[in-house]
Amino acid sequence: MADFMQQVVAGLASGSIYASLALALVLIHRATGVINFAQGEMATLSTYLAWTLTTNHGWSYWPAFAVTLALSFAGGAAVHQGIIRPNEKGSVLRVVIVTIGLLLLINGAVTWIWSGEVRAVQSPFPTRTIEIGGVAISIQDIGTIGVVVGTMVLLWFLFQRTKIGLAMRAASVNPAEARLVGVRVTWMLSLGWGLAAMLGAISGMLAAPSVFLDPNLMAAILIYAFAAAVLGGIDSPVGAIVGGLTLGVGLNLLGTYVDFVGADLRLPGALFVILVVLLVRPSGIFGHRAVKRV
Amino acid sequence: MRLGRSIAPVSAFLALGLVILVVPSFVSAFRAQQLSYVAIYLVALIGLNVLTGYTGQISLGHGAFMAVGGYTTAILMTDYGVKDVWTIPIAALVTGAVGFLFGLPALRLSGLYLALATFAIAVSTPAVIKRFEGFTGGGSGINLFGVPELTASLTPVEILGRELVFNDWLYYLAWTTALIGYVLAWLLLRGRTGLAFRAVRDSETAAQSSGVGLPRYKTLAFGVSAAYAGVAGSLFAIATTFVNPDTFPITLSILLLVGVVVGGLGSLVGLIAGAVFIQFLPEWSQQVSKSPGAPTVVSGIILIALMFVLPMGFAGLVGRVRTLTKR
Amino acid sequence: MIRKLALALPALVLCLALGTGAALAGSSQGQADPGVTANSILLGTTSPLSGSASAYASVARGADAYFKYVNARGGVLGRKITNTIVDDAYNPAQTVQATRKLVEQDKVFAIFNALGTEHNEAIRDYLNANKVPQLFSATGATKFGAEAAKYPYTIGFQPSYQAEGWVLGKYLARTQGAARVAVIFQNDDYGKDLLNGLKKGIQRSKVKVIAAEPYDVTAADVQAQVAKLKSSGANTFAVFATPKFAIQSYVYAKRLNWKPKLTLANAVSSASNIMQIASEGGTNAVVNGSVSIVFLKDPTDPKWRNDAAMKLYRQVMKQHAPSANASDVYHVYGMAAAWTAVEAMKKVGKNLTRAGLVKVVANLNIASNPFLLPGIALKTSGSDHFPIEQMLLQRWQKSSWKSFGGLWGYRGA
Repeated sequence: MADFMQQVVAGLASGSIYASLALALVLIHRATGVINFAQGEMATLSTYLAWTLTTNHGWSYWPAFAVTLALSFAGGAAVHQGIIRPNEKGSVLRVVIVTIGLLLLINGAVTWIWSGEVRAVQSPFPTRTIEIGGVAISIQDIGTIGVVVGTMVLLWFLFQRTKIGLAMRAASVNPAEARLVGVRVTWMLSLGWGLAAMLGAISGMLAAPSVFLDPNLMAAILIYAFAAAVLGGIDSPVGAIVGGLTLGVGLNLLGTYVDFVGADLRLPGALFVILVVLLVRPSGIFGHRAVKRV
Repeated sequence: MRLGRSIAPVSAFLALGLVILVVPSFVSAFRAQQLSYVAIYLVALIGLNVLTGYTGQISLGHGAFMAVGGYTTAILMTDYGVKDVWTIPIAALVTGAVGFLFGLPALRLSGLYLALATFAIAVSTPAVIKRFEGFTGGGSGINLFGVPELTASLTPVEILGRELVFNDWLYYLAWTTALIGYVLAWLLLRGRTGLAFRAVRDSETAAQSSGVGLPRYKTLAFGVSAAYAGVAGSLFAIATTFVNPDTFPITLSILLLVGVVVGGLGSLVGLIAGAVFIQFLPEWSQQVSKSPGAPTVVSGIILIALMFVLPMGFAGLVGRVRTLTKR
Repeated sequence: MIRKLALALPALVLCLALGTGAALAGSSQGQADPGVTANSILLGTTSPLSGSASAYASVARGADAYFKYVNARGGVLGRKITNTIVDDAYNPAQTVQATRKLVEQDKVFAIFNALGTEHNEAIRDYLNANKVPQLFSATGATKFGAEAAKYPYTIGFQPSYQAEGWVLGKYLARTQGAARVAVIFQNDDYGKDLLNGLKKGIQRSKVKVIAAEPYDVTAADVQAQVAKLKSSGANTFAVFATPKFAIQSYVYAKRLNWKPKLTLANAVSSASNIMQIASEGGTNAVVNGSVSIVFLKDPTDPKWRNDAAMKLYRQVMKQHAPSANASDVYHVYGMAAAWTAVEAMKKVGKNLTRAGLVKVVANLNIASNPFLLPGIALKTSGSDHFPIEQMLLQRWQKSSWKSFGGLWGYRGA
């Protein structure tokens, strides 16, 4: 029983990391209607930034964290203004290609600047473990879940209870009409990209102390994050969390107890989830069904 | 009759065929081989063009279809002793069937969701291949070099009185297949099917209300484009003489979509340009810098720049030149 | 329509011309082997400059720096070495195409230190059929020196992964009594070879592998695997992984409060800087006392600080690869291979031919290499194409490795 619970705990830990990046994906999709293939790489870049500040320049954790978030926000908004906006009027395909170009650009840049060596990243939480009933639970993992849930609450608050959130939703759902009522659509979209980049940075800084930093930090997590976002509903922050945790625990248990799945089919397992959800219930657990007016 | 309108494109096409026929006499055997890969990518792009250019369905998973074709060829050659050329149509059928089957559930997805689903398939394909090790050779892959069913790999082959070394044989095999493939696609698209495809792309609702059977045409498009990718994969296996899960990575799927967009949806010239782009982009990127990571940066920059400079792709450039010279 | 095609055709020809290079293939200059002239030698290397394995690009960089150093001092018997490095993005299909380009277009003398197991396998037949030396393949896969008779032009370099596993297994068998071993291994030839070697080494002893968990390189983390291994009740933990996952394994073991009596690690993932990260500032007890095998001099190991060869290493890196991170041990690997290549070519003499080179490297007998541990020799013979088969055991004590015992040699299939 303790082994089973240990796997569940390990699954929750991995799942919270998937959920953190899923939040960024959900935000970008909700605010701008786009699936950003470069989201993971942007998060990796932010994490390297934080690492450089703390390790090479000797900053202490919280100032480095704050500056990284600010720079990430600026970077995300700049990417939207400079690269995405000119291509928005074209077909969906152009935006896809451009985000893919961005993925390559950032991934290469990270390797070029910092090399492929693995590095350790400081954690804001103590790395001690507490033991309950034979199951070891790391304080860092608890902290991660806490931050992720907290971020989700903030996001929910932003979208549901603030004017800016309302404007963002309007800009995304119906830009033409939103302009008519005075919403500065382009700024709202850039804001969305900036916020998503910030969320990505948070995700990277939560993941790196556990998973360790190298240029592929987010590449592996990205697929699981997509699966989590789709499972929970690609427009729902709550869904991202529930999706991430469910996915983490589910894949762990499948991988541990079902021999056919084993360790090597966990990634295809996540992808299988994406496929099945998209086919059976595209709006995910918590998402809304989009009704298209003909 | 429609024949009158066909004379110009047909004669231009034949002229192209002539150019392709004589090129090997002017370039080194190695260049001929590089150009064979251009033809291989061209086959895949022709198929992807049918799917994305004509019915507007985005696929980031055509590398996976190439893998199906490539492995079909490799397994048929090594386990069943089938000659390499005969594996190509079989690969087309197998992959076409897989594509068609995928097209059925894909009916419910559109735009970015379809891109995401196909991306998912492409990423998981290497892992699935490794899983079924007994069948696919797992991570070690299947080696085709020197296998007797592989034409010309050790000794030159005689075709129509000429002796061809491996590189030249490959060139003719690949380009013949590509040109046949193009003709078949052209015939398919100029008829009613092509019209239906375009109707689907332009407005699904309008198409449906006009009586165009959406499911039938969308899945047909998937099947056809997958079959092309399967043929490309088959040729790829023959050319590379080796397949393993890492020879069909997600980057391949991404590059195929990039090739179709960069080339410009629709025209043959555009597709050839796209195929040239796919084949030579890594080489061009490395000429800029060889520091680890730098080639990828260059590729990314080129991609983004192209979307700004040539949003309609290379074919769009040709179109613009034509408009300019019209005056 | 005609006008469009009239414009398209020249555009098309332009396309082909862009892709088309030199016109008539240059006639080969008769008798001398390609890639060798009176004052130059051209070598070719494929390396993962992009993609997920770009950390290993350091191997080629270290080698290249050494060649530049040798050139600055007159080259090999008056010939300067040019080492063309081509990116294969760790994709064997790219390796095949890049290798063909190096052989058929650039006309290299030999393919040197190509990196990757399946990558070397994909080009092996082609190179042997075309009688091009496949020199010092950067892979430890066992099949690589094993089919020497069939592939006379192919020579490996490092000890095979199976040999590593075997030595660790033998160590357990001799010193750990009835140890119960739990293994985490990478799910490919690399990890499986190590595991097989371990199992061979513990044959006929009381040691047993009671749990083995694979992980795929696409995994985000290996928490689940380590948890499962802990629950097996093993008292020995073997980590056969690549650096990132090795660090994770150590750290998760600690987080799960697992205290194995002994931890084993393989060479690729036991460089000092990796162990430092895993030890989490010395707080990770799982790391302490770890045993691993080693055959290269580790640049971050304090005991080599005043070693002449490592001083040379740092000097060469500073002069010829200033932007590289010299504490990365993969550079040393490349340099060791480059040193051996230079020695081999010197031995062939002024009349440098492919056949001559193959003869020398297939009958190598070099007593020591400055970048390898003292006492490790490079030897090959008719049926054995693994130059390095000796290694030392080392134990992690507090914050550095300390080697112990004598040299272990591996003689086996």
